[in-house]
Amino acid sequence: MHLLEVENLTKSFGGLKAVNNVNFHVDEGEIVGIIGPNGAGKTTLFHIISGFLKPDSGTMKFKGENILGLAPHKIVNKGIARTFQVVRPFRHLPVIANVMVALKSPRGNKKIEWIKTIERKAVDMLEDVGLTELMLEPAENVGHGDLKRLEMARALATEPDLLMLDEPFGGLNPLETDFLMKSIQRIHLDHPTRGIVIVEHKLYALMKIVKRVIVLHQGEKIAEGKPEEIAKNKKVIEVYMGKAM
Amino acid sequence: MATTYLRRFYSSFLAHIYDIPPRLLALLGILLLICLPLAGLSARILLILTTAFILGIFAASWDLLVGRTGQISLGHALFFGIGAYSTGLLFYHLNWPLWITIPLSLIIGSLAALLIGFPCLRVKGHYLALVTLAFPIILMGLILYFRDFTRGDFGIWNLPSYFPTLPYTQQLIAEYYLCLFLLLASAIIMYKIANSKIGIVFVSILDDELASKASGINITRYKMMAFVISGLFATLAGSVNAHLMANGHVTSLASLRITLSFMAVAWTIFGGIGTITGPIAGVLILEILDKYVLTEVIDVPSSWRLISYSAFVIILVIFWRGRGLARFVTDKLEDFEEARDIDERGPKIWKTYKKKEKK
Repeated sequence: MHLLEVENLTKSFGGLKAVNNVNFHVDEGEIVGIIGPNGAGKTTLFHIISGFLKPDSGTMKFKGENILGLAPHKIVNKGIARTFQVVRPFRHLPVIANVMVALKSPRGNKKIEWIKTIERKAVDMLEDVGLTELMLEPAENVGHGDLKRLEMARALATEPDLLMLDEPFGGLNPLETDFLMKSIQRIHLDHPTRGIVIVEHKLYALMKIVKRVIVLHQGEKIAEGKPEEIAKNKKVIEVYMGKAM
Repeated sequence: MATTYLRRFYSSFLAHIYDIPPRLLALLGILLLICLPLAGLSARILLILTTAFILGIFAASWDLLVGRTGQISLGHALFFGIGAYSTGLLFYHLNWPLWITIPLSLIIGSLAALLIGFPCLRVKGHYLALVTLAFPIILMGLILYFRDFTRGDFGIWNLPSYFPTLPYTQQLIAEYYLCLFLLLASAIIMYKIANSKIGIVFVSILDDELASKASGINITRYKMMAFVISGLFATLAGSVNAHLMANGHVTSLASLRITLSFMAVAWTIFGGIGTITGPIAGVLILEILDKYVLTEVIDVPSSWRLISYSAFVIILVIFWRGRGLARFVTDKLEDFEEARDIDERGPKIWKTYKKKEKK
């Protein structure tokens, strides 16, 4: 049984088919990358899986259970956590409180080890992404790179079985990219059964950490396979670079 | 030489003033309010302050809903009115004593908040403000329509008072302390809620509903919780107010007036939105200004009263850049603490402080 199974997913906005008949699956302990040029429907796919958008047709199963049409917070409590492409911190709250919000959710609260308080757990979550120094700083004073990591800490706080990262490297400098890459890899090693889906533009960072890549173009899946195969795939090169003269 | 000593004296004097932490400041304010009746103030000031305490509960409850949760309500007088009318009607029809009718009105108020919350919290932002604006007007219409049951615009008179056995002046002071106690108790409860972990979730809804959902929070439930808590305290203010001497022991349509809803906005913005303590300070200052300073001390002609009052509020709100009284005070105190940390105590303090201000 796959962890997440998506079949024939279609979503259109007016005449535009943002996601068209997409099938894919994510297994336990797998890192899957979703790539594609701008407007390929990657973020729409994310929104559908996390429950913010309702698809026109298709099925979506998480651990064999139908999750189509559930409210976003219910999907999170089933075990799918996501981050946002554009950072969405709680600006009035200190960094640690941002994580505590996720820990107040039913799943987050249940997953706190009995020996820990909610604050202790939040500190641990921040430690995982390297934000302990900024713990008490209001989120509005924190820089973009740190907010990206905060997003991840908040998603991880619910101890998801499937972690979905929407452009985690967007707007980061090479140093920050490297650090985040390493922390994703560490998270992967710490929780070997956790599936991770990454949507990304920065291919060089993505290709290093994923096991399997799915390529979307104009809402359709055009290729799927190992990173090396995808890099050589003619159709993918065509989509990214244009046709050879 | 002499000027150096003078300046040193001045800066050490300032050091003592700015050294007070906000908590101590609040404590001093409370002590002042406790001691005030002992100073032999006129009955008029006592009545004004008693009403101001009740309105403080009302303003703080509005702040908990709007400043902390971000659910804009422009019809908060609804709960004030529900409180006043439920206690009034229970007395009028059943002749029950006030220690039964007030707790009952609290239950009615929170049930009403639950009931009204369902349609209200389906809309957001400006639309929510418009929907909530309508509810007190609807209730007013209902009260006027069922005038046999509610006595319509006559209101319900001669509600029982809290201390019927005491003589007039002592009754005033007793009611003053009762309301002060209620204000402190409900302010502490609301402040604790706002700064608890539930309060953190409230602020997350104010900041970003989508991200709050993505963190697994059932935002409808938390919004409803904020609505009910806020409604409960506003109802408490309304029902306690109805029996007060300052109010003339009357339940009337005035408790539902739209100006009351909007005054809550003014008090809160003046005091500092989202601080809970700020609105209470705002109510106390503005009520004394409006009802005492501008009428008895300065004696502004009645046609200029509202203008000068509004000008005072607007100028200070702009001067504080919308952050309000409470934040202005805490900012000043923090600034000074920072300046003191940079330099050692002494005449330098004032200079650094000034420099920081210029920046």
